Order: sequence, then C-alpha cells, then structure tokens
Amino acid sequence: MNITEKLNILKDLLDIDQDILGEETKLDQLDEWDSIASITTIAMFDSHFGKEVTPEEVRGFKTIKDITDRMD
Amino acid sequence: MATGILKNVEVKGIACAVPDRIVNNEKYNEVFGKENVKKFINITGVQTRHVAINEQCTSDLCYAASIRLMEKLNWEPSSIDALILITQTPDYAVPATACVLQHRLGLSEDCIAFDVNLGCSAYVYGIWLAATMISTENLKRVLLLVGDTSNYGINQNDSATAMIFGDGGSATALESSEGKDIKYILKTKGSGFKNIIVPAGHARSRGKTNADLSEYELAMDGSAIFAFTITDIPRTIKSFISQYDIDMNDIDMYVFHQANLFILKHLAKKLNVPMEKIPVSIDRYGNTSGESIPLTLVDALGNEESAKPIKLLLSGFGIGLSWGCIYLEMDKSVCLPMIYTNDYYTGG
Repeated sequence: MNITEKLNILKDLLDIDQDILGEETKLDQLDEWDSIASITTIAMFDSHFGKEVTPEEVRGFKTIKDITDRMD
Repeated sequence: MATGILKNVEVKGIACAVPDRIVNNEKYNEVFGKENVKKFINITGVQTRHVAINEQCTSDLCYAASIRLMEKLNWEPSSIDALILITQTPDYAVPATACVLQHRLGLSEDCIAFDVNLGCSAYVYGIWLAATMISTENLKRVLLLVGDTSNYGINQNDSATAMIFGDGGSATALESSEGKDIKYILKTKGSGFKNIIVPAGHARSRGKTNADLSEYELAMDGSAIFAFTITDIPRTIKSFISQYDIDMNDIDMYVFHQANLFILKHLAKKLNVPMEKIPVSIDRYGNTSGESIPLTLVDALGNEESAKPIKLLLSGFGIGLSWGCIYLEMDKSVCLPMIYTNDYYTGG
C-alpha cells in the first residue's frame, strides 16, 4: 500500500482534509486526534490490516508517520 | 476451560424495569459542545437514556420486574428456591441486597439469597449460576435479578461516562425442565481490573484519609476496553460455536452487551453476522451494564405472543475484565413488555 492510500484511510478515519495531512503532521496539533480517534484507530488496524494494535501503542504515536509505518 | 452443558433447565420468563425519567444526550450540548456531543452520539449510538430518580435503587427496579414476572408465571413466593442478585450498585455496603429483596418479595425462609458483584458480564454469569443450581443441585425454581443504577457516582463533566449509561433492573425466571439445556463459556482477565474502576470507597483505600473526590467516581479506559472487546470476544464466540458444533446461520438472534454501537457494528463485521440479527437497544436505553442483555431481549420481543422457539447466542463482556457466552433456546413469548416506574422502597 502506498503512502497516498494510507493517508486516504487516515483522512476518512479522522474526517479530515487530506491537504493538511502529511507524514510529518504532529498528532497533538490535530483537534480530531481525541479519545474517540484512538478507538477508531484500533478498529482501523483490526479491520483493514488484521493487526492487534494496543492502546499503549496508540498513545505512543506522535506523528502521522508513526501510524502509517505501523500499517506495513 | 470453564465451558459445558447444563441439562434439564429452561428460561421461563424475563421482565425488565427502567425508570420513567428520560435524559436526552443533547442536553449536554452546553457542557461538552454541540459538535462533541454529536460525535459522541454518532459513535456510541446513545441518544436517550432512562435515569433513576435520586431515591430509586437498582433493587427497586429489580423488585418491580420480579413482581410482574411472578404474577405472569403464577409463581407463588413460597415456590422459589433461590434468589440471586447481580449488581455493582447494591442498596448498602452490607448486608447483601438479595436478603432485602427476599423480604420484600415475601419469599420463604428456605430460599437461598445472595449478591454477586459483576457488571457487563453479569447476565451470562447469572444464567450459568442459576442454571447450575437447578441442573446440579436439584433446585426447582430460581429467580435471577440483574441490574444497575450506573448513573450514581458519575462525574457529569467526564464526557466518557456522563452520557453513556442507562439505569434498569431485570428478573429472569429459570425452572427445571426435562430435556432442555443451556450451553456456556465463561472467562476472566483480571489483569485489566483497572480498565473500569471506582478506586475509592472500599477496603483498598481504607488507609487513605485524603482520597480525591474523583477517586469515588467511575474511571474508564475506553480504548483498552475496546481493544479487549474486538479481540477476545470474537475469538471466544468462534471457539464456543465450533466446540459445540453450532451453525451460526441457525442462530436467530445474537444478543450482545450494549457497550456502544461502534462495538456492536465491529463485532457484526468480525463475526460476519448481519446487523438484522443483532438487536440494538443502546440508542434509547444507553449502556445498562449487566441488564443490557435481558433489556435488549425485552425491547425486541416484549410484545411477542408467539410461542415459537428461537435460538439465541448471548454474550456479555466488560468490567473485570470478565466475559462469556450462553447458547439457549426459548419461546419468543417469554419476554414481558417493558415496565416504566419511579417507585422506590420506603422501608430501607
């Protein structure tokens, strides 16, 4: 999966405009990155990638790249 | 593994009572902001909830359900061998609220009565426990009461807990019945005990003289609970189904604990079960803790008069962490219509 496809998934997940979403975007600067987003992120890894991502891992994500790297 | 088949026992009736008072979550627009409330409602599905008035306890709701159920089944109080109450919101720290209810319901002194402390998994554990007492201890009739008034002790400024819970109480009648059986699997993962917890108010905080007020309120780690639910629950259901050679297509209804709508939809997808087979009550009643399974059944079937048998898979999961499944057949007509009440006990 290329980076555009990964960003598209995150754009849908966070309900956010892709133009402002880049790999270096810091999550704590996004209003959309809240407690509900951490739940939908766990769900996204489970349903799109069959991966069991723990809440601790999600708490450790600092940038969009941390999330897209985990998709591999 | 804690799994098996309990023979010669049947569910004869289910009744549920909820408070009259309805709270619409849009009322929280001013507290959390309109957009945040909208997002919360979209994800959890909780639009309205029934919330107990101050004087109303879990036992009052279970009492109303029990009275209606005993009347409907023509069960004389003296014919009930055991009363089990499963709640996390008892009337008192001590004694067990089941003893108070044995008195209020006029049950015999020969009746076993005790409380069990479980939440979201309460109903599946309760069915197992009541059915075990009938199947292996030769009791004839057991009344299983499951309920909570979870809105007590909630921080009204915590968006994770203020808008999610509904209050209610249920009564389920189980009776010995030749040829009927109930299959079960029960599990526990105590390592997650802090994921949903009220830290203060009991013995562990006894030495603390300056416990923060917030420690008396329910704290919930939503993402930890979600991760547990979407991994352990489908895994347990799949192994249960396969162990007993149950055809998933033959199951008429999958009645899950109403944690939130997002979890229900995710479970449906993971198990490949259509949402039409997964009844939803959380939109109008909220997450009613252990009562959510019987409440969802009553909501879906409470006005059914057909005695047609249906096959049900019940699954409760959450606080503990504790979870399990029950597979049983019962008549569609065993559920009574929903009871709405603001009655409470004045002798307590």
